[in-house]
Amino acid sequence: MSKPSVLIVGSGAGGSVAAWALATAGYPVTILEKGRNLLPGLGTASGIGTKFGNDEIKEGRYFENQDVLLEPRTARSQREAANGTARSFTGDVNTLPTCVGGGTVHWDAKTPRFWKHDFKGLSTYGPVPNANVADWPLTYEDLAPYYDEVEAKMGVQGDVTKMPASTLAQAPRSGQFVLPPNPPMIGGQRIAEGAARLGFQCYPFPMAVNSQPYAGRPRCNSCGFCTGFGCPIHARGGAAVSFLHDAMLAGAQLIPRAFVYRIDTTSDGKRATGVAYRDASGADKTISADVVIVAGSAIETARLLLMSANGAHAQGLGNASGQLGRNLMFHFFTLGIALFAEDMHAWMGPASTHTIDDFVGPDRYALAARAAGLPYLKGGIGEVGGSYSLLGEAEIYNAVPNTWGRLHKNLMRLGMIRRHIAAISLVGEDMPQLANQVDLDPDVKDVYGFPVPRITRSAHKFERVASEVIGPQLMAICQASPGAIGSFLLPVGELAEDTGAGGPLAGPASTAHIMGTARMGDDPATSVTNAFGRVHELDNLYLADGSVFTSSGGFNPTVTIMALALRMARNIGNQ
Amino acid sequence: MTHDHGRRAFLKAAGAIGVLNFLPGCGSSTPLDGVSLPDRGEAGRFLDAHELDTLRAVTGRFVPGPPDDPDPGAIEARCAEAIDLMLGAFNMAVPPIHAGGPYSDRAGSTHNDFADFVALDPLAELGWRIRIEGSQGLPEREFAGPVIGLQQIYREGLKHLDDQAQSRFGSDFVSASSVEQDLLLADLTDGDTQTFVGTALANTVEFMYGPPEYGGNQGLVGWIYTGWPGDTQPRGFTDAEVGTPGPITLQLAAPDAVALMQRFIGGFGR
Repeated sequence: MSKPSVLIVGSGAGGSVAAWALATAGYPVTILEKGRNLLPGLGTASGIGTKFGNDEIKEGRYFENQDVLLEPRTARSQREAANGTARSFTGDVNTLPTCVGGGTVHWDAKTPRFWKHDFKGLSTYGPVPNANVADWPLTYEDLAPYYDEVEAKMGVQGDVTKMPASTLAQAPRSGQFVLPPNPPMIGGQRIAEGAARLGFQCYPFPMAVNSQPYAGRPRCNSCGFCTGFGCPIHARGGAAVSFLHDAMLAGAQLIPRAFVYRIDTTSDGKRATGVAYRDASGADKTISADVVIVAGSAIETARLLLMSANGAHAQGLGNASGQLGRNLMFHFFTLGIALFAEDMHAWMGPASTHTIDDFVGPDRYALAARAAGLPYLKGGIGEVGGSYSLLGEAEIYNAVPNTWGRLHKNLMRLGMIRRHIAAISLVGEDMPQLANQVDLDPDVKDVYGFPVPRITRSAHKFERVASEVIGPQLMAICQASPGAIGSFLLPVGELAEDTGAGGPLAGPASTAHIMGTARMGDDPATSVTNAFGRVHELDNLYLADGSVFTSSGGFNPTVTIMALALRMARNIGNQ
Repeated sequence: MTHDHGRRAFLKAAGAIGVLNFLPGCGSSTPLDGVSLPDRGEAGRFLDAHELDTLRAVTGRFVPGPPDDPDPGAIEARCAEAIDLMLGAFNMAVPPIHAGGPYSDRAGSTHNDFADFVALDPLAELGWRIRIEGSQGLPEREFAGPVIGLQQIYREGLKHLDDQAQSRFGSDFVSASSVEQDLLLADLTDGDTQTFVGTALANTVEFMYGPPEYGGNQGLVGWIYTGWPGDTQPRGFTDAEVGTPGPITLQLAAPDAVALMQRFIGGFGR
């Protein structure tokens, strides 16, 4: 008997891992991807090419990201929503690459695992007022073997012997990383010394970057065009090069420029029967399948399920709980910046080679939490040692009125932001809130004629206080770094919160870490999917992206999305 | 390979004597093959000769070259011509919107892939036509409301600068003195001027510091004066280059440096 057919919506981190696991297990798999394929040769024996390059102009021109004029999003704060404001901003709201391979075509490939306590926030630390804290329906131990497998397949570097005991107690590893760390960047080394002076521990950042040739791909040569740029040499692992390519070689069919706008179900609403999509020529098509997996990222997945409302699912597919679209979580960023007289060229290398996770807490911040009236406080991991590239630096100066002319030339010659800083970027955990949500904008349409996702969001006191408490620690570490002549704090999350989605800091504070909107849980009354990402109310509809996260942790989420997708796919295979 | 080794040896030596600077490589420093850039007094692909001369003057105030500054600026980099090339992108067989990849021929590749621009598919073309040409009342371009295109922003902005120059100095913009030009561009009370300045300044630095295949940064002047290596693939950097700091080149006292940083990075928050 032939195996059930599988349809996957989205070719990013979750979709590609699921495609690989199922296609190599003999399932007929079709992947529908909204964007273009910019990796010629992907899925063919001739090997994977690329149209990406070290090109700062192309990076800013909607090459891999969705064009904001074709697919805008809208945004408003909780206060504006309460006042009946439909939207206060229309434009780019936390977009991810919309192309084959999704966000991982230009990620910096940082792969810290979530910790044990991130999966059990409610039972470990109790509730947080005005937040929708819940336990995940699985444990770190349930996910650990899938972390191992994903890391080995992608080629993740790190050094378990350099990791703090506190990290390994929360995220134990079965063994050493498959690759050693990259050559350490000088800015990260200096900050690591500053951290050590103050009792913090810096270690090599786990990341899916080849420090040696691996899986037929070359080693990273530290070109510096990393975060936000497609890797020209494929030294960086990811959804397309590490999973989708092999899935296609095993028979999976990829259809780019296929915009899925509806999931169809049986009339009783208990089974998904397939999807409707607009193809590259603009024609409307349907395709049926035995299993449907949605992996469009947390915002687009929620939007698709809401747009798929039908007689059996009046409030959106699988939304009997009312949780669909809610609990949207971003990470809340805070920067500490060290200033050096020497040229630290912190733009060079794979974004950053060092990390500090002592800011996760919560024990370290118990007193501060009590002072703020919070039951506890957690921060997140720190990305240590990066700066800006040339055009990026010029754009910062441009943001200040009348900073052109000889002043511009002198600033660019000096290169203070490009050459003389190295930063610590705190990936702050975001509390889930019911009021932070994705819904369908009542007025604004995209190029396909469908309602765009509307993001309603305001920060919780939890992440604001964490930023205020941890920020000075980041600054102190920067100041203690050998050679630092100054340091300062840039709380981008808080500044953006105060200036709104259209404010000048919304861009720098914008994050590709998008979670929640269809949280997993054991109880269908309070969650959208079960522990395997299956939508409670349907027998064969699965979600494989950040939408299923019950909490946001303080860690880059992609490797956890991948591990969850692999666990989900293996579960489908066992049925 | 010989070239690479020679370059590496040079960098190592340069570092040793304390002048380490990441110089851009040899190879292409001009735009797409077969595309010539208009000279002074010549019409561009979209702008007429006077508009293009005016835009040259504007970009030259934003990123000045000699005699205001010792290093070449936007006029020498030909940023105005690059902006005109963008405005007239759809007059070309493959619009020069997205350069190809993965490599130019500046860092070890014999072929310049950047010069082979990536063709826009119909959806991407629609987005860029809306951005450049505006929505023009066409229903297929106004699904999210009307959009003013870059062509209109430039045409009206350049006209506005001429009008302002006439009313305040009795000449058109390009004939005004550089001080007068600066006064007009810096007038924060003139919203029309500032709308234009926002767009034109963003595009000027884009073409000043981006790859030369887009038409600007001719002779790599934007990379040479900043000591920026540009695109370095497939060569990349050595482990030693990653792990060794460059010389002390920030000569400000620490409090001044921090204050300057806060002005700019903190300036985002205003």
